[in-house]
Amino acid sequence: MNRALRIMLAAITAVLVLAALAACGSSDSKDKGDAGGKHVTVTLWTHTHPPMIKLYKELIKEYEAKNPNVTIKYEQIPNTEFGTKMLTALSNRSGPDIINMDDSALRGEYIPKNLVAPIDPVAFGKGSADEIAAGYVPGTLDGAKGKDGKLYGVPSEFNATAFAINKAHFADAGLDPSNPPKTWDEVAADGKKLVAKGHEGFNFVYLHSGWYTQELQTLLNETGGSILTPDGTKSALDQPNSVAALNIWNDLIRKDKVGNANTASKDATVPFDDFASGRRSMTMIYPWAVAQLKIDNPKLFKDIEVTPLPQVDTAKPSGRWYAYYLAVNKASQQQREAWKFIRYVVSQNQRWLSDVNFIQPVVGWEKSAAAKKYVPFLDVWAQAYSQGKFDEVAPHWSEVQDQVKDAVQRSIFDGEAPQKSLQQASQEINGILGS
Amino acid sequence: MLRVFYLSLFDYDLTSPPKYVGLANFKFLLHDDRFHQSFGASIFFLLAAYVPAVLLALLIALGLNTRMRGSGLVRLLYFAPVATSWVAVSVIWRLVLHPNGALNESLGLHVNWLTSTSSAKWGVALTAIWKEVGFFVIIFLAGLQNVPRELYEAASLDGAGAFSRFRYITLPLIKPISAVVAVMAVIRGFQAFSAQVVLTDGSFNTEVVNLFIYKTAFASARMGRASAVAVLMFLLLAVVSLAQLRVLRRSDR
Repeated sequence: MNRALRIMLAAITAVLVLAALAACGSSDSKDKGDAGGKHVTVTLWTHTHPPMIKLYKELIKEYEAKNPNVTIKYEQIPNTEFGTKMLTALSNRSGPDIINMDDSALRGEYIPKNLVAPIDPVAFGKGSADEIAAGYVPGTLDGAKGKDGKLYGVPSEFNATAFAINKAHFADAGLDPSNPPKTWDEVAADGKKLVAKGHEGFNFVYLHSGWYTQELQTLLNETGGSILTPDGTKSALDQPNSVAALNIWNDLIRKDKVGNANTASKDATVPFDDFASGRRSMTMIYPWAVAQLKIDNPKLFKDIEVTPLPQVDTAKPSGRWYAYYLAVNKASQQQREAWKFIRYVVSQNQRWLSDVNFIQPVVGWEKSAAAKKYVPFLDVWAQAYSQGKFDEVAPHWSEVQDQVKDAVQRSIFDGEAPQKSLQQASQEINGILGS
Repeated sequence: MLRVFYLSLFDYDLTSPPKYVGLANFKFLLHDDRFHQSFGASIFFLLAAYVPAVLLALLIALGLNTRMRGSGLVRLLYFAPVATSWVAVSVIWRLVLHPNGALNESLGLHVNWLTSTSSAKWGVALTAIWKEVGFFVIIFLAGLQNVPRELYEAASLDGAGAFSRFRYITLPLIKPISAVVAVMAVIRGFQAFSAQVVLTDGSFNTEVVNLFIYKTAFASARMGRASAVAVLMFLLLAVVSLAQLRVLRRSDR
């Protein structure tokens, strides 16, 4: 072998070795999505809620200042378009790196379809997902867990359900505001007195199918009913405990006439408008809505009292949880950087409490200074957070929700008996689950 | 469009690779109550909104087909709703049709126009009539202005009354434009979507086919099934449009 050939072989070998090393390095970097000092752009999509958007923008500014190699591109999608836009974007790989998604969609669609990545403990400075979970109230991360037991996100916002009354209306109707209704029967009794004084006593919120479903689910949790059978393969809406839930709704609105479903606001951008405008005296409510009310109508807010959710059986209190989680797109090329930003966002849980009234259920949140100072009616919320459960989900859940909405509408707006209406819904849902 | 034909033969959830299922999507639609209901809602909307809109448009066009001062402004007023977006019109009509809204208050009615199965479809149809009349008025006016005035003058001299002049002169001579109006009415009727989304979100039996397609494709992520509905509607519209043109052409000879 002549010298030139040996040099050439050595050069080729060196290039191959270097290329292999470079490939290993880039593969590792790509797998974990660690920028390694290179400039990266991480995209974040959330739904709309003005105080939340303001804080996200502040956090992004701070994070970018601390991490000059990272740019966070933040987009807000209207709530009604969020699911559709996210799904279509993910289908053509134009989706964001960070997905802020509600637990139903996460468990029903995104985790089963392998669209989101399991949590990256390294980005959180932890050794395992269990170490991350140990920092949260037990059960509150279940909304982001797959059937494989893996964790796919951390909560940006965790909600329980409570009840709100307008104390001025109560006084006007000769009711004692310090003795709010504890059962749905008491809601009916108080509601009639409020109606007699020209107020709308109580009503549910009639928006899209998601709202109908979550409100019925709240009642189902109390009556022991459910939308699906435990194995999730059939509808259980025609079962007596489930019919009992719609009966509560039906009796309040159609029999006791404590509210008028036909004149209720149908504007999804202001779900609690009837209560916030002082027209309605009682409503089911969530923490973010109380915070919004304080901003939108501070005068009325002085007359508001948040109380525990009325129960079917006060000895066995029940409630409903729902949460939004920060998760990372499985197709993201910078997963680690995305998780690092998420870590920063959730590390600011005290500011989420003080600025937005978003409760992130870290252990001891209710004892924190920010909670005591900034979360109105903290005792009620602390209790509500201890007795809830997440909604049911199944494949093609939006179709199931449409059937639930139709069933409630047939009963509440058209006057069909709840049992008959739910039997029809059950047949339709069984068809959906089997198709 | 070819992609829609292609996808109609697949089970495709937007995020997984499409899986070939042959004609299974079409077979499913044969027995799907929700699709049948949405098809019925589309037919109802077409008949309840567009038949009155076209007849009303013809009457208004006949009234406007005279040379009078300010007729341009009147025509503009009729055309204004056409130039307004469906969403804006629907938002306005949501207030008009509210139980305490202008329609009930002015007529002394107690109708839940948008929140009952018996009346919601009429509420949506009323909105569409108001929005669409102007569109057909303009088309009819164009047709009417092509009818020679001498024919009317000759008929009047022969003693023909207003109805006879309309029956034997106007109607036959505007048949070509009527064919266009009929085809456009059917197409626009089946294109219904925005009014139903804004006014009822498809509740109370107002979920028309396009809304069903949208929800099936993007809310339920059943892109194959939604494509199958789109294919069926394309074929149906093509057949109906051709049939309309053929019928009206034959009677024109």
